[in-house]
Amino acid sequence: MEEAAGPRVLSQDAYLASATDEELVAACVDGTPEAFRELLSRYRKSALNLAYQMLGNGEDAEDAAQEAFVRVFQAVPRFRGQAAFSTWLYRIVTNLCLARMRRRRGDVDLETLGEPKAADSPSQQVTEGLLTRQVLQEMSPTLRAVLLLRVEGGLSYREMAEALGVPLGTVRSRLSKARIQFRKLWRQFSQSEAS
Amino acid sequence: MTCRLFENELSSYLDGELPAARAARLEAHLQTCPHCQREMEALSGISARIRAASSNLQVSQDFDQRVLRAVGSYRVTTRRRRARPLTKPLLVLAVILLALLGLIRHYFQRPVRPPVPAPQPAAAGYVPAPQGAPMLPQRDR
Repeated sequence: MEEAAGPRVLSQDAYLASATDEELVAACVDGTPEAFRELLSRYRKSALNLAYQMLGNGEDAEDAAQEAFVRVFQAVPRFRGQAAFSTWLYRIVTNLCLARMRRRRGDVDLETLGEPKAADSPSQQVTEGLLTRQVLQEMSPTLRAVLLLRVEGGLSYREMAEALGVPLGTVRSRLSKARIQFRKLWRQFSQSEAS
Repeated sequence: MTCRLFENELSSYLDGELPAARAARLEAHLQTCPHCQREMEALSGISARIRAASSNLQVSQDFDQRVLRAVGSYRVTTRRRRARPLTKPLLVLAVILLALLGLIRHYFQRPVRPPVPAPQPAAAGYVPAPQGAPMLPQRDR
């Protein structure tokens, strides 16, 4: 017997997996908790990476990323979609991290940096990873934020300007300064490691 | 344009955010300037270093659970997945019906009061005292 040809009905999971961020946000507003779970699953890693590089500590990073998602959930009915969801989320993560850094007054050194829960890694990679985190922690918070939004968040200059609430030209110059500062600190720390 | 001015544009160029005309000028400069070429190489490695530093970072297994618990969504989800019991709406309906029945009963079964007799005309021998007349003191019995 031939099957009656009819519209293919997607399961909820399949629908959510194929939905755009905007559709998921709308579903969240309509009270579909699974839509929020999908957003969480899409962005947990990048939000955590961003927080980790901002704070240099795994536990703090998880707390900040979790708090960011909670704030997203609470504020989603007020989200107007003027910026992309990712831009909005990264702005929340960045602001929470900057607030945490202000609270602890940037007193982070290499000893207090939490080790990421890494699988067996080559020692060279671990050393470079530590050095990178040390350099990032030494950078000025505003320059660090702009660099990480670009590298970890993958935001365009326009999106970064929206996320940070600064003009496009400021993003351009901050990012340039951030890269120059990173390179300078990298050289400095590499030399002190070697000696 | 000096190397210093080009250096400030290297970052935007790396991100593909430099306007076309300025990008073309920078590319022409890079062809002839080993110093800026080295700068460019040094800056282009930064993103890779940062990504590598977080690539091994693993999310805790209960990360989602903790977030969902914090927003109260986890309970909502599990509750929604169960068949919704009809007890509560039926109970509410029953209470409303009972209240309505009570009201109807109260309205239709009000005790019938006997008709109030119409006031009788005053007795023939009784003449009300004119206004302002002194009241007679009551006698003790």
